[in-house]
Amino acid sequence: MDEEDKISDSENQTKPEKMFTLKRWNSVAMWSWDCSTDTCAICRVQVMDACLRCQAESKKDATNKDVTCVVCWGECNHSFHHCCISLWVKQSNRCPLCQQEWSIQRLSS
Amino acid sequence: MSTPARRRLMRDFKRLQEDPPTGVSGAPTDNNIMIWNAVIFGPHDTPFEDGTFKLTIEFTEEYPNKPPTVRFVSKMFHPNVYADGGICLDILQNRWSPTYDVSAILTSIQSLLSDPNPNSPANAMAAQLYKENRREYEKRVKACVEQSFID
Ligand SMILES: [Zn+2]
Ligand SMILES: [Zn+2]
Ligand SMILES: [Zn+2]
Repeated sequence: MDEEDKISDSENQTKPEKMFTLKRWNSVAMWSWDCSTDTCAICRVQVMDACLRCQAESKKDATNKDVTCVVCWGECNHSFHHCCISLWVKQSNRCPLCQQEWSIQRLSS
Repeated sequence: MSTPARRRLMRDFKRLQEDPPTGVSGAPTDNNIMIWNAVIFGPHDTPFEDGTFKLTIEFTEEYPNKPPTVRFVSKMFHPNVYADGGICLDILQNRWSPTYDVSAILTSIQSLLSDPNPNSPANAMAAQLYKENRREYEKRVKACVEQSFID
């Protein structure tokens, strides 16, 4: 018994069994903006692009984007172009998506 | 001339074509993107079933901050539709949101056909019959459905 155990032990050490071989590794990455939507629901353009109004007036800088056309996040975490939401809140101070009272959490370009 | 309202309407039209909601359709008129023609097909299992109801939608340059004016061209018998075809629907008045588009407007009107609100009547007779004499209500609605085939 003892000998058999020794033999199998030594076999295991010399010829370790391969469980599997890693032949290829495809990495998959996911990312998203840290807000609930990346399209401005008012003008239907991506918030990172210039809003429709700015596109129409073509107030662009070198990067093809109006310098004042920034993304605006509300306390409710909904985001819109600052241009789009500031026009709307003149009429009604509610988030157009969730109807909560609108207050600005942060702006970013 | 391409104003923000017109650009938004082009996007609405694109969305309506790419992702058409069931039972509604709409398109801008040939020479004016601010005026649309639309059709709502009567929802199944309602007295409006089989009807093809035509509407016009008129937008202003303030769209989408202001709702459009929507009106039935086809004759309607519905508690929330005025004699001139005007529609009494909260989302087209005080509950409007600039996130709505033509798709959303048309599907809301379609669901109004299934679920009238007799408490804010635009057609008092239709509201009364809807509440008190459903058989007569359905008879009057069916007459509109048949009329909708002709015009
Ligand atoms: Zn926008
Ligand atoms: Zn802008
Ligand atoms: Zn919100």
